Amino acid sequence: MTETITKTKNQTKTKLVIDVAIFIAFLIAMDPRSSGIAVHEWLATAALGAIVVHLLLSWDWIIQTSRRIIGKMNNQARINYVLNWAMFFDVTILMLSGFVISKAVMPALGIALPQNFAWRPLHDLSANLFLVLLGLHTALHWSWVVDTCKRYIFQPIVRLFTAKSRKDIPA
Amino acid sequence: MKTFGRVLVIVIAFAILMGVTYSVVSASGSSNTAPVFQRDGRDGFAPNDGQREFGGREREGGAGGFGMLFGLLKNTIIVAVITALIVLPKNFFQQKRRAVPVKIN
Repeated sequence: MTETITKTKNQTKTKLVIDVAIFIAFLIAMDPRSSGIAVHEWLATAALGAIVVHLLLSWDWIIQTSRRIIGKMNNQARINYVLNWAMFFDVTILMLSGFVISKAVMPALGIALPQNFAWRPLHDLSANLFLVLLGLHTALHWSWVVDTCKRYIFQPIVRLFTAKSRKDIPA
Repeated sequence: MKTFGRVLVIVIAFAILMGVTYSVVSASGSSNTAPVFQRDGRDGFAPNDGQREFGGREREGGAGGFGMLFGLLKNTIIVAVITALIVLPKNFFQQKRRAVPVKIN
């Protein structure tokens, strides 16, 4: 029982760290004019790995919701499920179009892909759509974000300061 | 082993979707030798190598620390506004629902 609770706590912490990392990486990668093309492309490629880990950590939820989606289900969970699939489709198109028009990652790997008119607008469109979907995704998980940040970031900081101030008071 | 299987499922799903998208876009688009229209008026047409990046500004190089901060801030604000547009009304209606006294017969 205690082992399960510790495992869940560790998973939540890992999830928080990975989600924050993906969020920051995406925000930096979304502005290649300021970060530079190499940073943009390598960061996005690394974020793909982080997205796989994010999906692995949410695996149980994905399986459970996929089984229940046809039957009786909370509306918010259903919207969340559809939104997550939309994000998956969008991020796949975003990554693929990014790889095709790549100027740093693909040449570094020695891969040359045939160019096409459609990839650039597709990349821009999917990137803009992903920003909107990311906002919606964050909104739907806002209570989780607030609770987890309180539990693993703010409360430990407050505890640290209160413990310090208690130590400072002379007996 | 279980994790490896799950990773494989995710990677296969990514690969299938990428394959379908790639074939659809390749089938509907034109070849790489087609010219790209330039709107700045310098050249009527230019080959793909001269294609402008991100609305006319070069992607390589970057605008330095301040530019990076500005880009980061801009995207954060967009996400924050979308999140606020959903979360604030939702919280408002939830509080309103809680505040309404329930009549029990």
